Amino acid sequence: MRVKLKAGRDQRKFIKRIEELSGENVFACYQCGRCSAGCPVASEMDLLPNQVIRLVQMGLDEEVLRSKTLFLCASCFTCESRCPKGIDMARVMEAVRHVLDPKGKDAFGPGEIPPELAQELPQQVLVSIFRKFAK
Amino acid sequence: MKIHYYPGCTLKQKTTALDISTREAMKLLDVELVEPQGWSCCGAEYPLTEEKIAGLAAPIRILRQVRDEGGDVLVTTCSFCFAVLKRADKALRDDPLKRKRINAFLKDDIQIDPLTKERTTGFEDYAGEVKVLHLLEFLRDRIGYPRIRDRIQRDLKGLAIAPYYGCRVLRPQKEMEVDHPDAPRLFEEFLEAVGCSAVDYPFKQECCGSYLSVSLPAAATEASYRVLRSARMNGARAVAVTCPLCFYNMDHRQDAIKEAYLDFPGIPVVFFTQILAWALGVDKTVLGLGEHRVPADGVFSEIPATEVRT
Repeated sequence: MRVKLKAGRDQRKFIKRIEELSGENVFACYQCGRCSAGCPVASEMDLLPNQVIRLVQMGLDEEVLRSKTLFLCASCFTCESRCPKGIDMARVMEAVRHVLDPKGKDAFGPGEIPPELAQELPQQVLVSIFRKFAK
Repeated sequence: MKIHYYPGCTLKQKTTALDISTREAMKLLDVELVEPQGWSCCGAEYPLTEEKIAGLAAPIRILRQVRDEGGDVLVTTCSFCFAVLKRADKALRDDPLKRKRINAFLKDDIQIDPLTKERTTGFEDYAGEVKVLHLLEFLRDRIGYPRIRDRIQRDLKGLAIAPYYGCRVLRPQKEMEVDHPDAPRLFEEFLEAVGCSAVDYPFKQECCGSYLSVSLPAAATEASYRVLRSARMNGARAVAVTCPLCFYNMDHRQDAIKEAYLDFPGIPVVFFTQILAWALGVDKTVLGLGEHRVPADGVFSEIPATEVRT
């Protein structure tokens, strides 16, 4: 993955905000990649979990905020249980979604569920997906 | 023994099999289940950012109600409810600021008794007085396997069952502290205690795709397929789950899995409480087997079926 670092871009604000929201120290990550290795949805992602955290470390907010990955994370916490540095990556993902919130529309809203499917879905999954992917 | 039991929203609506089989089994173990009065949805997702603490209000209100009814233990079966309640409780015990804020918010909550119409308000602060236990933990620690073994009415003759933990019972490891996140024994020990043989397979703690089955069905189909195929290849007659969403993804969506993966012949998915109730002598007609899309009748036959291998 190639990224451009430009002088003058204020990266500290984004990093600080992610650390504040997630309560995690993103600089603890040394890019071992175990989070991505264990991720059940990695094959669908444009940025792997370890790449997300690397971009956060560099304060590259635009690159992170436009990634599909944010709305593919199932919060299964496999990454958390495998991280040798004790970082809860699901919290970092949620913090990034939180920063994104006011900027766009719902990543997934009620209108996207066909009525016949809504009939058979367990309540739990509806509450869950709107808490994660809608504002 | 009388304990508080939180069924949660899904068990009252779409997945009553889990609720019914839990009640039937607990009756036979002399445990009376009491639902906290006026319970609401737990929120399903524990809020993962420091600023979204409003999500703690619902689970804490439920836990406070349990305490005010004199309970010190709350048992759940749904993995999502279990995780939310347990983590909210821990957050309030560990973080004085969250404790203060959530309690201040909930103090003037008004509760009306459905029978006497009596209004209660001005609640006392909740500070973590209730222990949240998954039913699997409750069976192991509070009832004990020897007592369960004494009550067994049906010999399951080592019926091969694959325990499926899914995501929320074991993780995040540092908050759930239930068992080892990659080499757990809790579910296996339960299955062995009721006369099954627990199938060891490498996908027991992997994710089934969770809520992605709504937003990106293909991802959940693939994730669930990996789990089910692995269970079958390792000789399981059925996969046992604790969570209504795992059940939905692996049972209700199994036709979609078969369509996407033509080599997959299918496998029944059951709740661990159905196995417990069955072993304790509960009649097959009250196990809620009508809710299964993949017929599971064969799993609960008087003469257990022999292992099926692919």
